[in-house]
Amino acid sequence: MSNNIVSKFLNWMKSAAGFSITATIVIAVLASIASGPYLLVNTIVTGGMLALVATGLTLMLGVLNIAMFAHGEFFMIGSLTAYYVFTPISNYIGENPESFIAVIGPLIAMAGAAIVGAISGIVAEKLVFGPLRKRSTDNWVMNSFLLTVGLSMLLINLHQLIFGADFKGIVGYWTGMPVSIADVFISRDRAMAFVIAVIVVSLFWFFMTYTRTGMAIRAVSQDITGAQIVGIDIEKIVLLTISLACALSAVAGGSLLFMYPSYPTVGLEPLYLAWFVVILSGLGNILGAVAGAFMVALLKVITVEYIGAGWDFVVPSALIMLILIFKPSGIFGSDVRGALDK
Amino acid sequence: MLLEVKNLDAGYGYLQILRSVSLNIDKGEYVCIVGPNGAGKSTTMKTIAGLISPMGGGIIFNGEDITGLSASQITKKGISFVSEEMNLFVNMSVRENLYMGAYIIKDKKIQNERLDFVFSLFPRLAERKDQLAGTMSGGERKMLAIGRGMMSDPKLLLVDEPSFGLAPQLVANVFESLDVLKDQGVTIMLVEQNVTKTLAVTDRGYILENGKIGLQGASCDLADDPHVRKVFLGV
Ligand SMILES: Nc1ncnc2c1ncn2[C@@H]1O[C@H](COP(=O)(O)OP(=O)(O)OP(=O)(O)O)[C@@H](O)[C@H]1O
Ligand SMILES: [Mg+2]
Repeated sequence: MSNNIVSKFLNWMKSAAGFSITATIVIAVLASIASGPYLLVNTIVTGGMLALVATGLTLMLGVLNIAMFAHGEFFMIGSLTAYYVFTPISNYIGENPESFIAVIGPLIAMAGAAIVGAISGIVAEKLVFGPLRKRSTDNWVMNSFLLTVGLSMLLINLHQLIFGADFKGIVGYWTGMPVSIADVFISRDRAMAFVIAVIVVSLFWFFMTYTRTGMAIRAVSQDITGAQIVGIDIEKIVLLTISLACALSAVAGGSLLFMYPSYPTVGLEPLYLAWFVVILSGLGNILGAVAGAFMVALLKVITVEYIGAGWDFVVPSALIMLILIFKPSGIFGSDVRGALDK
Repeated sequence: MLLEVKNLDAGYGYLQILRSVSLNIDKGEYVCIVGPNGAGKSTTMKTIAGLISPMGGGIIFNGEDITGLSASQITKKGISFVSEEMNLFVNMSVRENLYMGAYIIKDKKIQNERLDFVFSLFPRLAERKDQLAGTMSGGERKMLAIGRGMMSDPKLLLVDEPSFGLAPQLVANVFESLDVLKDQGVTIMLVEQNVTKTLAVTDRGYILENGKIGLQGASCDLADDPHVRKVFLGV
């Protein structure tokens, strides 16, 4: 019995997924022992948020066949919304520090970010992707990709035009003493950012795996004709998917506002990192995207620590190219190739 | 009359395939469309199922004009289409595929009743309910596609070449399961390459050639028709 489990575990270790997850954990632990636990904390916080953005990307690519390069701008929209929602709340908290608003205020800001993110996603579908879908039958992937690049530039410049190019940040969401876990001090904001990422990703995974609507989203991504045949309203699913994907990215932007103040191009870094995740982990797998997010986060954190801040995109992308040479479907790419893997 | 197709024109883009196709099917009937490759049999079915919007003509189902409705709306009216390509959800398990077949049924209890029914029809699917559809054998996939089509408890089942690519034993299985469905009172429209067998089991048939209905009549009469014998049976 126990033998069986051990041999199963060893087999899993030999698979690309098992090996890379184990290697990630080992490296993270070793690096933290060598240079201090803040490395682990940074990896976990960055990874959690990256998971949100990357899941959104996977969804857009898998269900809508859109190589989304404007996803960072929904991160930006989230951080901007959270900034404008939280600033008055934070003034109020400054005057009434004991009020319960001090506890739920940040959550209101993040919920605001999610809602505005979802609405902007719907607007983008109605104004940009929907009309293109009606017109273009050939070359959809290329056309929609170019459209997202344009959308990205448009949103960046709109931000600059309307809100200015300055950094709009906050001192912090939750004030008070850092939490201490096994002698490691973690600021409350970081701890909460991670908790929120875990909750959102778990809810999302549950939604996609077990609910009727989540299954319909997966069905559309695997066979759109099949989905129509069983009676799924494709338009509705498309709208829902876009708003979900954008909301995920916006939540990430909102809850990281204390680390990344809002400015026009704040979304570019999470966008690139999320693309690394999607390429690395292969498509169509939420859990894969989550694991990939922590790997990319670790790569980035370690590169910054040991090689230098200027290298934080070079090393991860070089490593990812290497991995892709050996496993083109990505580490967690599924064995069954569906529309998601096209 | 359950389904009435009147002077249907349809095709792809500017390319017209169907020219004034008219056919009808009564409740409980078992009707086939046969014809050479490229005649437009699949196109006819896809148009009825709403995957292609007609260029002209009309489709009346259950007394209601369904011309130009979307595929999902037509499914909700009670037409289920089992396509030639099957269009299964390859990364989902057999059970998930079947549940998706019952997408238009919200009541979990009825969904489970349908699932039991399909499992009794194809015990093989029950044995493999947790396997991914994409890893099933060709014959198992056909069963799954038909099973999924049955999950919504349709009034009319459109089946496009269910025996294509199957070994003779499995072909027999597929025809048997269609017989069971017919006995249950399901109205079936079948497209098949296997003309002899098809004309032997169905009540009535239409011969489709070059996008037009040539002959029509009772299946036994069609099987004896000299033109049909010459074109399809080579005698
Ligand atoms: N998506 C498409 N775009 C353009 N033309 C198509 C398309 N699908 C089918 N056709 C053409 O329409 C005609 C009829 O095709 P259809 O699939 O309806 O034939 P069929 O009778 O089902 O043939 P088979 O017995 O080979 O399945 C063919 O000439 C085919 O080339
Ligand atoms: Mg055909």
